[in-house]
Amino acid sequence: MSTAKHRMRDKKMRNQPINVTYSSQGSSHWRNGGGTPTGRGHDLSPHPWGHGSSHSGHAQGGGWVRGHQREGHGGYPQALPTHITASAFAKARAAEVNAMLMAVTKTTGSSHVFGGLPKHMRRRAMSHNTKRLPCRLRDMANNMLEKSQKAGQKMKKEQSKSKSRKARRRHGNMLLEFNRRQRKNLWLETHIWHAKRFHVVKRWGYCLGDRPTYKCYRACYRAMSSHCLLQDMSYYCCVELQGPGEQLLAALSKLTSKETGPTFAAAMCVSGRRQGSVVVYRAGQYPLQPLGPVTFLWRPTTQGRGGQEDQGSQGSTHRQLWIWAHPTMKTDLLPELQAVCQCSEAVLPPAPVDLPVPQPAPTPTLAPGPGAGPEAAQTSGSGSKRKWSSREPEAAGPPAKKLLGYSTISATTPVTWRSSTTGIVISDLTMEMVRYRLIGPLSHSVLTETLAPATHTDATGKSRPSPFWWPDHCRDDCNMSLHQQQAGVFNMLRGVYSTAEVPAGSVLGLTVDDPRLTLPNKRSKAVSDIRKAQGVNEERRRELMLKGIPEPLSQSSLWDRSVRDNVTHNKMTDQEVNRLRNDVLVPGSRLPTPLQGRVPVLLVQQSGKSQGTEMGSWGAGWDLLLPKAWGMAFWVPLVYRGVRIGGLRMSLKHTQNKGEPHFPHDYPDCPAGARFQEEQEAELLAKFRRRPPAKRTNYIKHGCLAPFRCPWQQLVEEWELIVKEEEGGGGEDAVVPMEQEVTPPQSNFTVLRNRKSLRQLSAWCRPTSSKCQRARNPGSTPQLNRNVAASLLSSHGGSSLVWIRLSLVTKGQPEQHALVCVPTAEDLQLVRKEPGCTGPQEPLHTDHFKSRVKRPRKKDHNKPGTSSSSSAKQSDPASVPGVNPGPDPSSSSSLTNPSSSCTSAPSVNPDPSSSSSLTNPSSSCTSAPSVNPDPSSSSSLTNPSSSCTSAPSVNPDPSSSSSLTNPSSSCTSAPSVNPDPSSSSSLTNPSSSCTSALTLGLWPEPLPSVTSHCSRVTLGWVTQGDFSLSAGCGEALGLLSLTGLLHTLLRQPDGQRGLVLLRNPGSLQYRFAKINIEV
Amino acid sequence: MCSISPFPVSDSLVMAKPRSLISASIPQTPPGIIMPPADGSGTGVMMDPIEYTLRKRLPRKLPKRRNDVYVNMKTDFRAQLARCQKLLEGGGHGEIRVHGLGLAINRAINIALQLQASSQGALQLAANTSTVELLDDMEPEDPDEAGEPMARSRNNSAIHIKVFYPDSQ
Repeated sequence: MSTAKHRMRDKKMRNQPINVTYSSQGSSHWRNGGGTPTGRGHDLSPHPWGHGSSHSGHAQGGGWVRGHQREGHGGYPQALPTHITASAFAKARAAEVNAMLMAVTKTTGSSHVFGGLPKHMRRRAMSHNTKRLPCRLRDMANNMLEKSQKAGQKMKKEQSKSKSRKARRRHGNMLLEFNRRQRKNLWLETHIWHAKRFHVVKRWGYCLGDRPTYKCYRACYRAMSSHCLLQDMSYYCCVELQGPGEQLLAALSKLTSKETGPTFAAAMCVSGRRQGSVVVYRAGQYPLQPLGPVTFLWRPTTQGRGGQEDQGSQGSTHRQLWIWAHPTMKTDLLPELQAVCQCSEAVLPPAPVDLPVPQPAPTPTLAPGPGAGPEAAQTSGSGSKRKWSSREPEAAGPPAKKLLGYSTISATTPVTWRSSTTGIVISDLTMEMVRYRLIGPLSHSVLTETLAPATHTDATGKSRPSPFWWPDHCRDDCNMSLHQQQAGVFNMLRGVYSTAEVPAGSVLGLTVDDPRLTLPNKRSKAVSDIRKAQGVNEERRRELMLKGIPEPLSQSSLWDRSVRDNVTHNKMTDQEVNRLRNDVLVPGSRLPTPLQGRVPVLLVQQSGKSQGTEMGSWGAGWDLLLPKAWGMAFWVPLVYRGVRIGGLRMSLKHTQNKGEPHFPHDYPDCPAGARFQEEQEAELLAKFRRRPPAKRTNYIKHGCLAPFRCPWQQLVEEWELIVKEEEGGGGEDAVVPMEQEVTPPQSNFTVLRNRKSLRQLSAWCRPTSSKCQRARNPGSTPQLNRNVAASLLSSHGGSSLVWIRLSLVTKGQPEQHALVCVPTAEDLQLVRKEPGCTGPQEPLHTDHFKSRVKRPRKKDHNKPGTSSSSSAKQSDPASVPGVNPGPDPSSSSSLTNPSSSCTSAPSVNPDPSSSSSLTNPSSSCTSAPSVNPDPSSSSSLTNPSSSCTSAPSVNPDPSSSSSLTNPSSSCTSAPSVNPDPSSSSSLTNPSSSCTSALTLGLWPEPLPSVTSHCSRVTLGWVTQGDFSLSAGCGEALGLLSLTGLLHTLLRQPDGQRGLVLLRNPGSLQYRFAKINIEV
Repeated sequence: MCSISPFPVSDSLVMAKPRSLISASIPQTPPGIIMPPADGSGTGVMMDPIEYTLRKRLPRKLPKRRNDVYVNMKTDFRAQLARCQKLLEGGGHGEIRVHGLGLAINRAINIALQLQASSQGALQLAANTSTVELLDDMEPEDPDEAGEPMARSRNNSAIHIKVFYPDSQ
């Protein structure tokens, strides 16, 4: 009987009188005896008769029990007792009756009162109203009700704060509470808005909205492609660099390379007219060690700004640069920037000074925190915060103590670094600005409706110093004319039909009125109405489209810290705005603009899909940069213009539809990307483990080695080996990979970002028979052949990955971590014959780990079984491959489908290399996860046998011998695998160590060869995949091994170049997909 | 696919000489509206030495009524025809307008003629032609040297066919 059964039985018998056991058989009697006594402590002596039970106290004494019972019950099985002692007998019976009565009165089981009622008598409200229960149960129900109420009260009391609700909701206390809650993860200014509507996740040190709680996936897509989607991107970190222009450029040029496209020094960006984006590398390491993508913005150098800025006096070479980076990247980026700029000298933030400030702090929702994320913590971060909080007390409003929470980081953490040699100053402006992103062709209409260029103040005449920045600003004529020009351009946007018409990356500075003043009564959808803009000069509009926004107009006061701080601290509270609204005579009319209601903003055009030929400029939009604390003041008016709001998930979909890699998901070669991958794996694994084992996908059976991550390093190394091998194992070639493997440490793979090479690859990936290829300029892209491919490969090293977009030919919905595989020649023939075919199937793999996972206790039973079967397999591996839990999982799996893979392999791959690569890793992995219990003999037996049987059959070529030598090298790459079979098996044998880590359906850690695990050779993995609403078919984005890709392309017929197979981790079906490399 | 974004789109290629660039671009715009080698002569002269990447911007979108049909080369011909028929029959419009730009002119004419043929003479056509100004961005290959990015405009032909029931007019 299993333990579970025992337990069940114990539970059932718990309240039974012990001695009432009926059994007719000796054996069953035994069982009863075993079952009953456990807790009762009465004798276990067997009784020959089923009904002959005795009370414990009298077991030996008399009654039924005969004296010689002990000697064995075989003697008088059927004989009746000759006499009965009446008193003893009656006593025994009385005890039984007592026990029975007790059992009857006691409630059983979970003892909910309603459980005792038949179903048809149960009523829903019984738990509240006990009168609905039958009388006999009421008392009990009342008791329980009381109990539960008491319990509830107790719980509540513990939870409740000492203060009353009113006290807790008081503004200052709320602030304290909010500050406490964002000690670990900062809130954006829109956090409370989001928290009411979104699933908020804690990520990268911030609380960010992930997705709305309502269903809006398609609606958000429609918003992106035809109207406008709004996102709060304030969590992006801004790093400001100031210094002499040449010095800055010289320092920054170390971080980038021209080969990847425009750099920091790109002429149009340096002028400040355009925003640029670039992938940053560690200083001087270009093809290696990327850090991640950043966007940057130079402050335009115009005389216009001189009026305000004293920095202008230093000369035109003094430049200011903002670099926007993802928060996970900041930890890597800041030290790197400090290194290149030689800014090691931290500038301590000035001590808090008490200055009078007109307004108390805005609510924390508006100004959540200067701060800095946890990552920022180390680097710096919260100078802003400190400053913020330091200013606060001056406000004379709230005592400083209340603002404590703002500075989760000590006030002395430096946020500014200065270099004495280069004169560059780096400051961390994290959370200093708000950044909203509007995506969609009508985002400019939303902006033109929401924002109104600032109205002039008549204060110009007063010439009296005012606490606000705008009157001062207005005093300068040149500022005013600039402002008028900017307003003119902004109004011209009304005449634009689509955001994409404005040149990509254009920057427009602007000063606008407080948008709360023009808040409409009702939420309505902004539409582009060109008729409104008929007055716009057509010529000027054309000029704008053609030339972009002229340089001086990109200037904005947002660049000045003093103005930013001024605007931040002088913001009107919502309460005051509402009071103004209350005072207006005609309800609904425009409010008078108060003096402090002018906000400098920057509008930055975001180009949409700029790569590739399809869906051009999809997802273009505008970024809106605001000073701190004005977030909600702009957010709500934007929402009132009918935009949709998206979270993190939508930004992922946005980049996915654009075909661009999303940071940090798709940058596995960056440290942040690697970190993300680990987190994601842990998360997915935990989710997988939460499911009941019977309901989990068995990924081993699906032939998926790593369903939750992508072992890029292993992939790259294996492909290098495969190609080396195929090249005939030439002496020099064979040596080189070995050296490479020894020298580089971990993760030396990179993603190819050289635009020229990508362009070449992109041309090669298209089928040559189509018109496109013919039309291609023959001079610019050489035809694909071995030499060209080899030169490309050698220039980038073998360990490169290529970012690709895959679109499925027929149906299918790719998922994350789907495998991208090389189609065999037969597959290609199949698809040529019938273009609509679904694709080949992967034969089911066998799960050799299942037995070990399932019954960890019965090791001894298991052992003989496996050993025997394995020995059977050794004798004849080919005959029984399918059923066999053989000692060598991967080899058997490659053998399991002898019909498909073995037979096809030779014919399919005329070159022996790939087939040999099939067998190759199998032999290598024999040692690793072998199930083989018998250490020395069997494994040493299996190894040669499997390699022998598989190698010759698949591989008629002598180069297989070289493949035999290989495993050792491949083994070295996998950490724990030992090339020596006997020792390794003895290592793995103590299955206890192994099984502890085993999860049903997942491969244990040292993975066998990832490329050749399935019947089709793996090229890479998909990092994002979904049904694409824009393309109308399944689309996937992923990375492929450059070596593997070239290898594949070289072998594919011209008409079918770029055709690969795609298979989801939880499916056996391969689907055909086309490769697109977009440059 | 909608007619909302009828005109495709951006394309990139490297070229050495401006003239060859344009002719090269023709078959490459996959879905379709191909611009004839318009008079690029004026703008082309100055950009010889450096390599440029050409990106075509979307044509300007115009306001679209319900009975405007923008024809493209990406959507199946029959589907577009069926759309027009549906609009004419059930849409409650006495007329529809079929617009085609560049390569799609041919298809627009085809659709209009098919509509007319299938109506047994009940429909009439009235065609207009126009010229549409298109913008191209030239992105220098080597961004640091080349200074400003250039944009230039070129023209392309378009056709607007009114398909209507004469009696309803």
